[in-house]
Formats: sequence, structure tokens, C-alpha cells
Amino acid sequence: MTAVAYVEVGDRPIKAVNDDIRAAIAAGNEVVVTNTLSRHNLGIGLPDGAKVRFEGSVGYYCGGLNNGAHIEITRDAGWGLGEAMAAGEILVQGYVGMSAGASMRGGLIHIRGDAGPRCGVAMKGGDIIVEGRIGYLSGFMAHAGRIIALGGAGDACADSLWGGEVWVAGPIASLGVDTKVVEPEPAEVEAVEKLLASRGLDDAGRDWKKIVSAQKLWYFDSRDSRAWLMI
Amino acid sequence: MADDLNDREYPFGPPDEDVVAFGDGAVPGRPAGVPSSYDRGKSPRWTPEAIAEAHAVAQLGRYQIRGFSTFNTRFPTLDDLVFVPATMTRLPLEGYRESCDTKTVLGDRPGLVEQPIELDIPIYIASMSFGALSASAKAALGYGATKVGTMTCTGEGGMLEDEREASKILVYQMTPSRYMLDLEHLRMADGIEIVVGQGAKPGTGGVLLGMKIPERVASMRTLPVGVDQRSTVRHPDFLGADDLKVKIEELREATGYQVPIFVKMGATRPRWDVAIAAKAGADVIVLDGAEGGTGASPELLLDHTGIPTMSAIPAAREALEEAGLADEVKLVAAGGIRSGADAAKCLALGADCVMIGFAALMALGCNSPRYLDDYEALGTSPGRCHHCHTGRCPVGITTQDPELEQRMDVAAGAERVARLLTAWTMEISLLAKACGKSSVHNLEKEDLRALSLEASAFTGVPLAGIDRPYTW
Amino acid sequence: MCGIAGRILGRPGTVGADLVAMMEAMVHRGGDSTGFALYGERRDDGYIVRVVGDDRRRLSADLETFLGVLRDCGGDFLEDPTWDDTGQRHVSVRMIVSPPRVDLADWVARADAIGGFQIQSVGRSLEIVKDVGTAQEVAAKHRVATFVGTHGIANARMATESKVSPTASHPFWARPFPDVAIVHNGQLTNYFLLKDRLTRKGYRFLTENDSELIAVWISDQMAKGHDLESALERSLRALDGVFTYLITTADRLGMAKDRWAIKPLAAVEDGPDLAIATEEQAVRKVYPGEVAVQTFDGPDQTATWAVGMVEVMR
Repeated sequence: MTAVAYVEVGDRPIKAVNDDIRAAIAAGNEVVVTNTLSRHNLGIGLPDGAKVRFEGSVGYYCGGLNNGAHIEITRDAGWGLGEAMAAGEILVQGYVGMSAGASMRGGLIHIRGDAGPRCGVAMKGGDIIVEGRIGYLSGFMAHAGRIIALGGAGDACADSLWGGEVWVAGPIASLGVDTKVVEPEPAEVEAVEKLLASRGLDDAGRDWKKIVSAQKLWYFDSRDSRAWLMI
Repeated sequence: MADDLNDREYPFGPPDEDVVAFGDGAVPGRPAGVPSSYDRGKSPRWTPEAIAEAHAVAQLGRYQIRGFSTFNTRFPTLDDLVFVPATMTRLPLEGYRESCDTKTVLGDRPGLVEQPIELDIPIYIASMSFGALSASAKAALGYGATKVGTMTCTGEGGMLEDEREASKILVYQMTPSRYMLDLEHLRMADGIEIVVGQGAKPGTGGVLLGMKIPERVASMRTLPVGVDQRSTVRHPDFLGADDLKVKIEELREATGYQVPIFVKMGATRPRWDVAIAAKAGADVIVLDGAEGGTGASPELLLDHTGIPTMSAIPAAREALEEAGLADEVKLVAAGGIRSGADAAKCLALGADCVMIGFAALMALGCNSPRYLDDYEALGTSPGRCHHCHTGRCPVGITTQDPELEQRMDVAAGAERVARLLTAWTMEISLLAKACGKSSVHNLEKEDLRALSLEASAFTGVPLAGIDRPYTW
Repeated sequence: MCGIAGRILGRPGTVGADLVAMMEAMVHRGGDSTGFALYGERRDDGYIVRVVGDDRRRLSADLETFLGVLRDCGGDFLEDPTWDDTGQRHVSVRMIVSPPRVDLADWVARADAIGGFQIQSVGRSLEIVKDVGTAQEVAAKHRVATFVGTHGIANARMATESKVSPTASHPFWARPFPDVAIVHNGQLTNYFLLKDRLTRKGYRFLTENDSELIAVWISDQMAKGHDLESALERSLRALDGVFTYLITTADRLGMAKDRWAIKPLAAVEDGPDLAIATEEQAVRKVYPGEVAVQTFDGPDQTATWAVGMVEVMR
């Protein structure tokens, strides 16, 4: 049984809080952070193997630049959750604000509630599971990775993808620019369902829409470099 | 969006592409849309360039794209400013003998930055991406900069191993696209530069055409090989200066308050923009004027956006002084700086340091008179080439073609960069010493005089002779 | 660039103190100047007028001139004016005036002609208090924390203009509409177009600040017969640029957010009480316990709350 260390946020400077969290992790503890008061920049750049639970709501960039830690937030999270995450896992029991998983490169983000606008913006890898609805402009300019929304999507869903996939079960308010809704391969559906099952979200009856890039914004119209020499 | 404007159908069939391209009655060697195909007439409005532009977009159906920098001739010029060295009223220092301090520290803020950047000279190499530049060019810039005690910056494409190895001091650029941005790479950097815009094309994001996105570039940018990359201009997770404050705190937390945070912007409203960036927490502000270069941009942005570097610097300096942050926040000026004299003038106007892009590429060989056939194949010649965007750089700098890249000799290129930087440092200190300064950082606006009303009005520099700036 | 907040209390209380707490939590968004628009006890006999004079040493002369103009317009002081004792060069004055016989707009225009002594707000219950400094500093100078009222809005500002001026900061009064105030986070991009049009219609602006314009624009819409909800809706397309603003009248608080969902808001509704701010952690200063927080993250959002009861329309 790993020892648990408690760190309180309250009104303390964030640097001091994060220093305490880092020290507790370095000493081999699991960390429970209390009295979070929706404050910003909690748990930045946490290392591989760390386990941190934030009891309460957090502000912006919680778990940002996550490098392999297991993070849980028991209520809501502000925007930029897990931004630029390379590896690890973040679980939010409530709602997550704008730009969750922004430019993340790997790992898993799991939101039990809804996600705000720009969920998964510019993501480069990894998975985001939202049990609720993803907001306006989710998946915008994603390069790779998967966003899985069980409760529908807002306007401009999957706008301007370079790559990546947005899987939506439930109603989509509108699709974004340069999107294509495709029929997923059975193997792909199986992989998604398997991932969901591993998170306790089994449900055989989902009607999936898989959205990918239509690739019309991938290119200007000519491949010939001479066509560019107009001046 | 204009991208999907041309979707409706004619009542007749689609036109012949060859005829759309002015192919009917065409003369070989004089393609429509290229200025050299036209003779110069008497109209000051419909010049060959203007006519060609109209013909070109009528064929392309979109804006033109090119590299290099502005062709707008309306910009005021640093050449209209001269130094007034010491004569009777003050003492000159011996230009060839006495010393002049050139050390430049960026990010000296105890408590916020534990390891400020210390440069031996007030010049460093600008952020130019791997992708825009070849890996050999990036390495050469790094080795050359390191040799004279200064630094380079990664540019948009992420941190290239070759550059990290070559550059002793390396600033890591965080653009809206966030290529290769993760904790590991952030912690490998000696500084982090948040990009809000650049001088060549403020208000828009980075551009790299498919011809320059082979496997290595693509994998670093998590892009499919060969796409025409058009980046976003806004960052994904902060959307204003007030949010930037929280974002900067995040970056400091991630890097243990060790390294300076830069904010780079194109010069548009520097009096407000610089003040706001300083208050948002930047340690160093990089102000890139409209004359700044680029590897690729919609052409109209190069010629019709941004304000001149020389007018931006005094405004930025005033902003920092009035905000009471001039001691803490350093100002780096960039944008079309071509010589040691230009650099010295920028310092005198209020910059703490300058950053050079194309000047460093000139040292590598940009527009050098070699491989003339390849210049001609591009429709240009040494001295007029601006075709960085094509990836066909005849001298191997702005290309991803391995054959062309080989022409960029890393060792020789590094040595030329080192020599250019050395020469410039000598030039700046020669001017400073002639003005009686023991440190290049003591150059001030009062050391300059303007040769034109315009230059004086744009900078606040006193007019030559009457010694008063032009005012309303 | 700033932080904004709003507070409604079902029963009058120290609304100022709560706003100060929320502003303090957002000092990182702007610590140059802080301002409060507070709604206290309603005066049926006249208006509360808040004025800022450039030079305290001229105060008695300015007051005399001001009174002269007021009397020419058929009004008078109902009480002796009071002012702050900060010792700063600029001085913040509070007056109670009887309603002028002329159009309120007319009287305000004439008062505005007095140089260096400018009306910051006029209202039956509205008082705008703003100054340079952080929330704590401004609250101390002007006794904000002890102000008893029903509702209010506040702004913590990051000044970008060279003079950190007490009067160029938010909140702004929608000159000349009594009891209307605004705070705004963002930057309009068609400001000059709209300002030109409104100026030609006869409106006068104290500053070149786009927040002031939004307040006047909304009030102009309401003067043309639109209700607050409709005016907020229309603003979503009429205003270009980034905005999340809170606008208050004598008995309502309204909110509008731009079409790109750039600047969020978080709110807690607690019976007839409301706390709303740019950042959730500011709202938590008033509600530190585990409460249900409503986030206004999405694009094109409007909402209104009535003072005195819970009634949200979206």
C-alpha cells in the first residue's frame, strides 16, 4: 500500500503548492490535493508513475505537459486540461472547460461530464473520451489522435482537421469545414468499444459517426513548383 | 470562406484551363502573370508588377505566395538616420583600441528566471524553422552562433537534434501549431519563445508548402507528407493577454522558473502590444518589423501589413518605460536588419538586442553568385532571388531536397556566419566608441540625426542641423 | 484585457466586499486600475452623481462651476458633496442632485463642457467608483468594502495606455442613460465605425474605450424600444471582435458573449443571489464550498438576471 501525502491549495502561492506535490511524488507517495478552489496551474509537468488526485474543482492548465502521471479531478476542470500531455491519464469527474487536451501528444483524457469548446484542439496523438457532449469547434486543427464523444457535439465539429478522428455518438449540431463522415471499419469500431469498455463504458448499441478530414484544405491547388513562380 | 466561393456552375461547360491561363495567342518566354513579360508603360498605377499581379490571380484563383520579404518601396529607411559621433562636446573612445562592452543579458529576473541568457554580443540568429530551412542550414547557424558566443532559436518546426547539438544556447519556439511541444523538449531549451505573430505577416499563421514537407519534417510536425501547411494564428489554449499571464506561469512551473520566457510579435500597434506583453509577464519581447523575412507567405501580407522596424522600436521603448518595466523586460528588435550600422541604429532607437534572419542566411550563401543555371531555372538570378517557398533554393538553404542541401557546407557556412557576426559586432562597437560609449547599450536616440522629415517623424530622432525632432 | 465580475444579492448587503474579493482573485489579469459599479439605496428625490476632478487643488472652483451649470439647468445639490481623502492629485466626488428641469442628456453635455471635472456616473442607485491601483487599494481609497447594495459589477484592468488614468478604466456609465453601467473583457474591432455612427446621433463619449461604446450602444437599442434581452441578442452580430460583457441597469444584470467563445464566464446562482466572474477561481472567493458552477463557455451566449429574484433567460 503506497503512502498517501496530502497537499492543501487554499490561498497559497501556486509555486509552493506544486513544489509540495513534486516533493511528495519524489518521496514515493500518492498525492491527494485538497481545497483546490478552482485555482490555475496545478500539477504541471508531472512525471511518469506519479498518482495525484485533486479533490475539488481546478482552474486552467491542470495536468498541463503531463509526462506520464495518473491524475484525477473529482469535480470540474478549467480550460487547457492536460495541454501538451505526452503520456499518462487524466480523469475528470465533472465538466471540463475550453481546449481540453490542447496539442496533446499521447495518453488518455477521460471526462465524465461535458467538455467545453475546442476540445482536443491541435492534438497530435492520444485519446480523449467525453461521456457528455463536446463543445463548439471541438477537434479543431487536430493532427492525429482520437476524440470520442458519447453525448453528441456542438457546432463546427471536427473543423479543419489535418488528421485524427472524431467519433460521435449522439446528435451533432453542425460539422466544421473540410469534414467527411465515413463508415468506420468493424475493426475500428471494435477498437473504440474496447477502449471504452476498459473505462467501464460498455454499450453495444451506439450509433457512431466517424469524422475525418476531407483533405480539401490540405493543399493549395498545384503540386508543380513552377506554378508558384508567378512573379 | 473564400476557399469555397468558386463553387457555383456556369450555364456552359467548364472553360479550357489553357485559355484561362492566357494561353491563346501566347508568346513563348512571356507567360502572363510574370512582371518581366511586360514592358513598362507610362501609367504609375498599372505598372508591369500591378498588371502581372492581376493576370496572375486571375489564373490562380487565390493569393500568390512567396518567400523573402517586402517589396514595398514606401517604407522609410534606416539609411535616413546617421550617427553624430563625439567631436568637441564629448570625447570619442579609440575605435581601434579601447574596449566597448557588448555583453547582453536577456531575462535577468531573480525569482522568475534562475538562468538568464548571457550573450557575448547584442545580436542573435532569428527563429527560422527546420522545414523552411534545411537541417544543414540549421546546424551551420547553430555552430556559427555558438562560435561567437550567441544563440539561435528553433522556429516553428520543433526542436531539431542537429540544432540542439550545434547551438550552445537555444530558444525553443512555441507557436500556435505547437509542433513537437512537450515537457521533455521544453526542458531541453534555454529559453521559450511564445509566438503571437511575426513581422512579415502579422495576424496570420505559419506557411510551409508541400514541396518542403518530406518525411522528417512531416513527422516532427505530425503532418501528412506533402501537405501545404497553413498554421493557425491563435494559440489553442490561450486567447488574449490576460490569459497569457496564466499561460506564462504554467511554462515557468514546467521549467522550474529556470529559463526566460520570450514573447514574439509582428509590429502593428507596438505601443499597446508591447505594454500588454510586458504586463502579461514576458521576460523578453521580440518585436519584428514589417521588413522581416519569411520562408513563405501570401505576398500581400509582406507588402501591405505591419509597420516599419524603425518606427516600432521607439514606440516599444516608450511603452516599456511608461509601464515602469524597462529594467526587467528586455526588447529585441528584428525585421530587415542588414548590417552592423542597421543594428547599431536599432540599439540607439531603444532595442536591447537585435535578431537577424536573412542577414544570417546571406552569410550561409543566400543570393550568392553560384549555381547560376539553377537560379535561371527559377526565373531569377543572384541578387533578386526570393523563391524560398519553392524548396528549390540553388544554394541548399531553404530546401528539403537532399541534393540541393548538400551544397550548403555546414563547416564553411558556420564560419561565414561567425565572421559576419564578428564583423557586425566590430561595426556596432566602432560606431559606439566614435560616439563615446563604453558599452553598446549606452547608444541612445540622441546619438542619431534624421536626414529627412519622414525619418524624424517616424522615430522622434532630431533632424540634422536643427537638432529637434519633427513634431506637429 | 482584464477580469470582470458581477454580484447580485437578493437582500441588500455588502455587495462591494464580495466584488473586491473577486477582483483580488483576478489581479493577475489586471492590476493597474480597478473599478466598481455599485447599486445602493435608491434615491427617488434625485440622482447620485459621481465625478472625478483632475486636480484636487481646484476642487472648490470646479464645484462652484458645476453647481452653476446645475442650477442653470434647474437642479441643485440636495446634500453637500463629499469627496475622498486619499490626497491623490485627482479627486473623486459624490453628489446628490435634484433632477434638472432640462433633458438629462442636455444637462450632462453642459456639465461635460467643464474641463477636468468629469461625470463618471448618474443614477437613482448607481455609483461608479474607479481608480488606479489594485482592488484592495481602490477599495481602501473609496470605502467599497462597506458599501451596502443590491448588485454591482467590477473590473480589474491591465492598462495599455501610457497614462494609467483613473477615468479611462472600467466600469463605464452609458452616458447619458441613468443607472446603466458596463464592464467588458475583450476588444471590439469595429469600434470606430460604431462610435462614428453613435456620435452623429448625438451621443457623447468620455473616452476612446470600446467598453464605453457597448454600454451606449445597448442603451440606444433600449431607447429605440428593444428590451435588454433583445439588445443583448442583437449585439452578438452588431459588435465585431472579442467580447464578454456584463451590463447592469437599476434592476437587471445582462451578459453577452461573442461568436467565437473566446472569453469565458463562470457563475454561481444561489437562490436570489448571483456571483459571476471571468474565472471560476474568483467566484470561489465568494463561494469557497463545493457548489454547482455554471460555465458560459460556448459561443453566442446571452443571459439576464433580475435583481431581487432568480430568473434566468437565455
